[in-house]
Amino acid sequence: MYNTEIRGPLITGDKTFHQVTEDICHPIDRKPGYWWYFVLLLCLGALVYGSWALKITVKDGIGSWGLNNSVSWGWGIINFVWWIGIGHAGTAFSIFLLILEQKWRTSINRAAELMTVVAVICAVHFPILHIGRLWDGFFIFPYPNTRGPLWLNFNSPLFWDVIAIFAYFVASSLFWYVGMIPDLATIRDRTTSKIKKAIYGFFSFGWVGSSQDWLRLETLNWLIGGLIAALVVSVHSIVALDFATSILPGWHSTIFPPYFVVGAILSGFAMVITLMIIIRKIYKLNDYITDSHLNAICKILIFISLIMGTAYATEIFIAWYSDNEYEMFTFFHNRVTGDYNKAFWVMILSNAILPQLFWFKKIRKNLTIVFIISICINIGMWFERYVIVVTSLTKDFFPSNWTDYSPTGVEVGLFVGTFGFFILCILLFFRYLPMISIHEVKGVLKYKINK
Amino acid sequence: MDENYSVSPTFKFIILGIVFVGIITIGLGLYINPEKTWANFLLSNYYFISIIVGATFFLAIQYITQSGWSAMFIRIPHAIGMYMPVAAITILFLIFGMHSIYHWSIPGVAEHSPEIEHKSPYLNIPFFFIRLVIIFALWILMTWLLRKTSLKEDHESNLKYFYKSEYYSKIYIFILAITFSLLTFDLIMSIDVYWFSTVFAVKNFVSGFYHAVSVITLIVILLNRNGYFRDLNKTHLRYFSRYIFILGIIWAYLWFIQYLLIWFANIQEETIYYVIRTEGKWKTFFFLNIILNWAIPFSILLPARTNANKLVLIFISIILIIGHWVDLYLQIMPGSVGEFNIGYIEIGVFAGFSGLFIFIVSRALGRIPLIPKNHPYLGESINLH
Repeated sequence: MYNTEIRGPLITGDKTFHQVTEDICHPIDRKPGYWWYFVLLLCLGALVYGSWALKITVKDGIGSWGLNNSVSWGWGIINFVWWIGIGHAGTAFSIFLLILEQKWRTSINRAAELMTVVAVICAVHFPILHIGRLWDGFFIFPYPNTRGPLWLNFNSPLFWDVIAIFAYFVASSLFWYVGMIPDLATIRDRTTSKIKKAIYGFFSFGWVGSSQDWLRLETLNWLIGGLIAALVVSVHSIVALDFATSILPGWHSTIFPPYFVVGAILSGFAMVITLMIIIRKIYKLNDYITDSHLNAICKILIFISLIMGTAYATEIFIAWYSDNEYEMFTFFHNRVTGDYNKAFWVMILSNAILPQLFWFKKIRKNLTIVFIISICINIGMWFERYVIVVTSLTKDFFPSNWTDYSPTGVEVGLFVGTFGFFILCILLFFRYLPMISIHEVKGVLKYKINK
Repeated sequence: MDENYSVSPTFKFIILGIVFVGIITIGLGLYINPEKTWANFLLSNYYFISIIVGATFFLAIQYITQSGWSAMFIRIPHAIGMYMPVAAITILFLIFGMHSIYHWSIPGVAEHSPEIEHKSPYLNIPFFFIRLVIIFALWILMTWLLRKTSLKEDHESNLKYFYKSEYYSKIYIFILAITFSLLTFDLIMSIDVYWFSTVFAVKNFVSGFYHAVSVITLIVILLNRNGYFRDLNKTHLRYFSRYIFILGIIWAYLWFIQYLLIWFANIQEETIYYVIRTEGKWKTFFFLNIILNWAIPFSILLPARTNANKLVLIFISIILIIGHWVDLYLQIMPGSVGEFNIGYIEIGVFAGFSGLFIFIVSRALGRIPLIPKNHPYLGESINLH
């Protein structure tokens, strides 16, 4: 009784089951176009720059970054939080819509989950590199050791981060992979090349599609789904705790954890919509990623951006209400006005104001504008972390500590490198894996208009 | 399908009796211990305001997420919304009790305290009530529009009304985001005038939503036991309990976050809030709060075996109705009355207000058709499996 008349169709074009498989496997069967190789080349360029930066960081140390005694966290943490944020929403998207039984998730969840896994890998580069002595990196894991009583500090949110992100990465990649098994088997069964058959056969774990297979798959999906729903919230909350457990004005705010989670979902959904528009455009999958899908994501963006706007307003209001001179200084003299006010206003404009344009149906329908706004949100979310990290650190309690901060080429290189990696993974995903979940789309194929 | 709920005269009589008891208690209380009475008056008012806001938010959420399963039950949040004007009137009586609850409202206090002086452009009695009036006017308008559109849909099958409801829901949520924050800061947070927490309003909003869903669930099940909502099945119950379960986790999350961050940073002006609440007699309520609002619902609703059982859901709803009171008691009393003492005033005032709430809501349910007609998702809701 799923009413598609009001909600908008899930899949258009009166597809048969066979056509669904054909359409989605089409990019895997054929050689990619020239654009694919061109983008690949760009990614490799970015990766070369990134590798150079990586080499300098490891060889020369953190001194090659633009950090100083006051601003001890710079682009590294900004990019870390930003990537985690993006990595957040893929799973948030998939899980919350699964739990809330929103049927339109089926066309989008696969790409969104991939985005999660890759973005988390991008994110973890930064804290790992910031350790400095990379060869001692394993010290962050708690294990009985020969260093005597020297354990790591269990009270430190940085350690909670390690645990939270690790758990999140494992769970979300598992979720992504498990959902893909039947599709891998589909590719295995239809390919003619022996090598492909062997590879896809290996990765589909001998899936035969018996009812028992399906039962186990669905049970597992629900189980991991339920667990990840909690992890989604915990991972970014703990990232927020890195800041909020301190006493620095602008960081110590009880709203930080939920506000980070929501912010992450905002940037992630923006990235999902960016990605979906690209997939739709290039692979002509308009029948699967329909206008109503994009419309629904836009509506969610309005709602999330509204929460963000309220959170910004609350922070500023409470800064005034608290009558704490440091809070007042940070918010009114350092953010709203002051050296970094441009970053602040970029943040407000692109996170709280621009998405509100989606109230208008005309704008939601115009994919070019949607695309531009989604990019703006991503930039805005980057600036949000910039505002939080840099304004609070450059000017803290002691004017004698005040400094400026600007990144060096090495820091920029690392960021560009992670971008290269992200896009490279997406390209490979386009080429070798089904980017829309075949079996889940087939599950909703027969929902038709009924009155 | 077009059955109407009818209130039995005995029920009405008992409820009015309870309301009467409440009025007597308030009268007596104002004479014997006005401070405590006003604090309880605020508690009961805020309690039901957050329930109404939560219930109407539930309604709005159903519209904007295009949820089909709940279409059958939308009249319950509509009926709860009808309590809004009454709440608006009763809260205005607070003007006579401001000095008993809010330290900042006492004339002359600002001269001795720079913090209060600083806040006085925002925290002053005229502006406080101007805000209240504006906020309630907006809420009454929006809930009325939502209800009116839905009732019009009953008479005329036209999708236009559904889209209109969806549109009003969006605007209502937009308004709620800001207004409920301000209301919570004003009514509750300003009691402890030196203390502040940015997550406070978010936490109370979720709390209202959480407890409102349990109230809606309770009403649905009770009506079902009296022969209404015959199409209620296990899946509906499971969806309700899923809502309660998830909101319970979010409630606990926000509670924990606020506590953890204040405890961890250990800034004197912030920790004082929890220092008071974890000492002496308050301590019991401090733990009771977590047990009632999180531990019990979480552990009981987790197994699939129990989470679609009517009796279990009734039990959980009652636990949560008590839990919400305990939560608010802990937020309001230490800063206003200052001593832990539950007596006839607490019970009487709350009973009176609950009586009023039940009276208004049950009358409202009797006036509007219990199950909406022509709602586009009605079929989906009735035949849910």
